[in-house]
Amino acid sequence: MRDEQSRSIRVSHAFLLLFCACALVAAAIGAVSGNSFYLRLATEALILAGLALSVDLLLGYTGALSLGQALYFGVGAYVSALVLLQTASFWLAMSAAGAASLLSAFIGGLIANRVRAVYFTLITLGLSQVIGKVVYNTRELGASDGIIGIPVIDIGIGGWSVSAADPTGFFLVVLVFIVILYGALAYLLETPFGRVLIALRSNEKRVPFLGYSVWRARMIAYVLAGVVAGLSGALYPMLRGFVSPELMSFSMSSNAVVAVLLGGAGTLVGALYGSVLLVVIKSIIGSWTEHHLIVIGALFIWSILFFPRGLMGMIIPYFLKRPSEEQSTVQVPSNVSLSGEAK
Amino acid sequence: MNNTPIMKIEGLGISFGGLKAVDDVSFDVDRNQVKTVIGPNGAGKSTLFNLISGALRPRSGRVLIDGAVLNGKSAGQIKAHGLSRSFQITNLFFDLTVRENLRLAAQYLEPARHAWLPIKRSARAASKVDELLSRFILTVKADELAGSLSHGEQRRLEIAVCLASEPKVLLLDEPTQGMSHGDTEDTKELIRGLTDSVTVLLIEHDVGLVMDISDSIVVMHQGKKLAEGTPASVRQNADVQAAYFGSV
Repeated sequence: MRDEQSRSIRVSHAFLLLFCACALVAAAIGAVSGNSFYLRLATEALILAGLALSVDLLLGYTGALSLGQALYFGVGAYVSALVLLQTASFWLAMSAAGAASLLSAFIGGLIANRVRAVYFTLITLGLSQVIGKVVYNTRELGASDGIIGIPVIDIGIGGWSVSAADPTGFFLVVLVFIVILYGALAYLLETPFGRVLIALRSNEKRVPFLGYSVWRARMIAYVLAGVVAGLSGALYPMLRGFVSPELMSFSMSSNAVVAVLLGGAGTLVGALYGSVLLVVIKSIIGSWTEHHLIVIGALFIWSILFFPRGLMGMIIPYFLKRPSEEQSTVQVPSNVSLSGEAK
Repeated sequence: MNNTPIMKIEGLGISFGGLKAVDDVSFDVDRNQVKTVIGPNGAGKSTLFNLISGALRPRSGRVLIDGAVLNGKSAGQIKAHGLSRSFQITNLFFDLTVRENLRLAAQYLEPARHAWLPIKRSARAASKVDELLSRFILTVKADELAGSLSHGEQRRLEIAVCLASEPKVLLLDEPTQGMSHGDTEDTKELIRGLTDSVTVLLIEHDVGLVMDISDSIVVMHQGKKLAEGTPASVRQNADVQAAYFGSV
């Protein structure tokens, strides 16, 4: 008998297929119409989705909120940029970014995992602020301007070669890459180790008495999340041709958290939908008013109050039938009456 | 058959401020028996359990399982020596299913490399889960969330979770707390039936239950061991009667 978590992941896979189908349609439309602006924006949304996956592993599964996950995203982006300035190799840039984010997440994890809950969150925030400011003030890294003029590369995959300058081609490369990251995390969550992470979210105090090391599990989750963020960040300079300290900023970290909450924390595929949703909302509202952040902030508060489980968090349970199904249906009317009272 | 005690408690003690919560407590626990610690509220029973299971570090004394000293070890290391504990206040993964609660605990039986393989490769854990589900009459509840079970079912699940790692010694902290009379009787039978595979060290308030199922009893009072012996001899003990039974 398949358990609930496995079935939930399978539903998530189905929505990943839907996501990919929509992405391919979007790519086809983009390629035919030759509209590179929206394809580039969509690619950026996918890269944000990689960072959101990293946040979801920590927040949605391990139950640890990181407000500084952009730190590793930024490390990946800068290392990738520095490598690409020397040699235009996609795989070398990705490997170096992966290694650098692994190392930095290991060091960051040693510090952040000394504490938990809100203190963990504050340390992740502090770490990203400190490193962000160091980069901001380091002339060799371009200081506040960042690094510009990163050459356009050709990405060799097997016998194929895709130019990062080709909006459709690079969009598809990033899509494949994000699907691989998703697949790796989905695999992890279906292993005993992954299940210990979910146990940490559920009741951390019980875990040591099952014989598992809480510190070790949290540490591995943190490092893996750092690598996922770093690899996603490594794609950024290939897309935009530059990196800046903004990539490590609080707003980048918080965007990823917002994307995860919009899409549904702990649903994995929700990170992808949430990121696209956030980018779409931002660009639509951004075209109406320059004060778009006010509207987005209000929208975010509204969605947290009335849809705390996020998009996928609401959809996926409908595909899971449990004996005690009455419980989840009971919650729906209570939400409705709440929103009625608010009006 | 090995007749040496499986567990030895030697001069265990801890103070909180000026209060000696557990004061120089020593006793042996024999293999495949039910040994029970009783005592009035505040006698130090739960503190004693926390010292044995590594939740608290003792100021003095030692705990040994089959000659291995447990003192100063983490809960995980103590687990590796074959000790598993339940909690007085039900402590489960309430938002996970009954099956997953057991599977997480049974995963401990698998070799370390299985931690990174898909869970369906962990066949031993899976069969352990099925065995415990049927033994603890939870099979029909397997796919419900632990938090949706009745109190009695949660207490049963708590014991099952502790057994899933096949411990040598099982510490049960008031397993029948808050249970109905019927559930208590069932649980009694269950605990009695465990001794073919494990040694049980029990904390209990319910004196009737203790007399029925214990092979041996330790009476605690104000942090100290007051008496030790068979249920009959403890019942006869004048100090015990004054301190405990007299007040019931």
